[in-house]
Amino acid sequence: MLKYTFRRILFSIPVLFVILLATFALGFYGPGDPLRTFYGEELGEPDPAAIERLRKLHGLDRPFWTQFFDYIGGLLRGDLGRSILDRISVGRQVKATLTISAQLGGAAAVLLLALGVPLGILAAVKQNTWVDYLVVGTTIAGQSTPVFVLGPLLMIVFVLWLDVMNTPVGWDGFWSTKVIMPVFLMALGPMLTVVRQMRSGVLETLGQGYVRTARAKGLAERRVISRHIIKNAFTPVATSTGLIVAGLVTGVAFVELVFAIPGFGFYTLSGFQGRDFPVIMAGAVIGSSLTITANLVVDLTYAALDPRVRLG
Amino acid sequence: MSERRAVTAIADVDEFEAVEQRSLWMDGLARLARNRAALIGACIAILVLFTAVFGPFLAPKSFTATNLERRLEPPSRDYWMGTDTIGRDQFSRILHGARTAVLVAVVTLTISVSMGTIFGAVAAYYGGWVDDLVMRVVDTLYGLPDLLIAALLAVTLRRPVAEWIAQLQTRTGWGFLDNAVILDYLLVFGALAMVNWSGYARLIRGQILTLRELDFIRAEVALGLSPWQIIRKHLAPNAIQPVVVAVTLSIGGIMLSESSLSFLGLGVQPPGASWGTMIAQNLQRVFTEPYLIIGPGLVLAISVFGFNFLGDGVNDALNPRAIRR
Repeated sequence: MLKYTFRRILFSIPVLFVILLATFALGFYGPGDPLRTFYGEELGEPDPAAIERLRKLHGLDRPFWTQFFDYIGGLLRGDLGRSILDRISVGRQVKATLTISAQLGGAAAVLLLALGVPLGILAAVKQNTWVDYLVVGTTIAGQSTPVFVLGPLLMIVFVLWLDVMNTPVGWDGFWSTKVIMPVFLMALGPMLTVVRQMRSGVLETLGQGYVRTARAKGLAERRVISRHIIKNAFTPVATSTGLIVAGLVTGVAFVELVFAIPGFGFYTLSGFQGRDFPVIMAGAVIGSSLTITANLVVDLTYAALDPRVRLG
Repeated sequence: MSERRAVTAIADVDEFEAVEQRSLWMDGLARLARNRAALIGACIAILVLFTAVFGPFLAPKSFTATNLERRLEPPSRDYWMGTDTIGRDQFSRILHGARTAVLVAVVTLTISVSMGTIFGAVAAYYGGWVDDLVMRVVDTLYGLPDLLIAALLAVTLRRPVAEWIAQLQTRTGWGFLDNAVILDYLLVFGALAMVNWSGYARLIRGQILTLRELDFIRAEVALGLSPWQIIRKHLAPNAIQPVVVAVTLSIGGIMLSESSLSFLGLGVQPPGASWGTMIAQNLQRVFTEPYLIIGPGLVLAISVFGFNFLGDGVNDALNPRAIRR
């Protein structure tokens, strides 16, 4: 087990390295000279000598590989470079914004499990009744409606038409009512995955011999479900954690943009919109590392969840 | 000689069984027609496709014509869904947005399925390190957040693709390349295809690996059917069904990705019409002119919902082996 863990962790390092390399190369060859992007557009043709001096100053005259390994070195020390647009340290901004996003993401994950798992069980137990159709249909509808549609629509309904709340825009810390709508919207995206997996997991276990045994020995149905079914049916949900984390990462970005929350997603997206490459790079690196880590954790805990699985 | 006899024997059996035959596709269609949710989805999907093809001809006004004297008007008899910030007819723009959404879905899926087929088939056929390499790339891409990668590609490739288009134009003299929307479309197609092909590669590799071991395929090899006959008559019909299911299931998702990219300002930009861009540009008017968001928002959600329901129904209908749950 220890050997397997070690090997898996070692194996994800080259994957991460390749992602870094690809992202860096895209940024290096794609958008063009960052100095020209910054100084060239509005101010007319800049003085070539000045540009040359700035290029030396920022180390942009060095070859690709030197710059790349310089970036990797900085990354290992926790230095993500500086934003092109405002010259503020990306690392510091990431630290400030990531705490907000982590709170939102954590709350959404809790809500996702607290709502998705019971709904999945309910849909499975009431299979092919209107309850089942309603649960599955609603989650499909939820997944079909992107955050940037549902967010504004909910605001129109609750603020403009019903007038039951103030505009939930901005960030006043986690313990404020403004957090409710963003967290709900974030949880809605990956909800379909959780409900579906839980539902099919429960249906699968319902047909197992030990469930029949549990019923035959006279256990109440409630107890059969809580003691014998849930634990085994949960495995498929846990397996799709990678998918769920990817959904939350994407979700947090859109939610923060729609509700003007100064979190990590908002920061990254503004980087995308301003073609600010150090910021984009940080977003890509952290976003991919999060999903890679999630997948790694799932693979490692798989044996604990399902003893039939042997890691080797 | 004996080989020949065996083949004729099969042919005889075919003629003998002149009982009514129903193909798997007809069976699937019948099952689909019994599924009410899928039928609703199919109606929405057909409506969206119809709008994508004929919408621009049905549109009451030009989707790019501006009228600054009549900007930000609420829905009226003149402008069924109001006008936007520079006085363009919102309804005509929404009709045009259907064309963008469908076009992106069709082109992206064509590229993704072709790439997936090529890479999946190569991986399955060669095996060994080729297989390992392809599948490693596929797994990595599959695990990353789609939209993040698509956005990254759309941002970084904009300048190279723009330069390439400019070069192409000077070489060929094609006037239509002047249109800035072409660059937007190419970037969206490319970025979305790059994040979508990996799923198809995995699916097709799996199909080939399973099917080629099945007894009836081995029997045909033993009977001496040519590889082309086996592929055309027996491999392709069996392999294509999961692909059809996967394609219908992902149309909604791709339409959503297109809108999301456009919402971020990385997809189809004005004068091109995209539902995502229309929402993004009016986001700060959510309380003053809500109709500018309700229109494209609802149309987007209902379209994606329809395609998702249809995909679900097709999945159930074409998977006779899966127990209906």
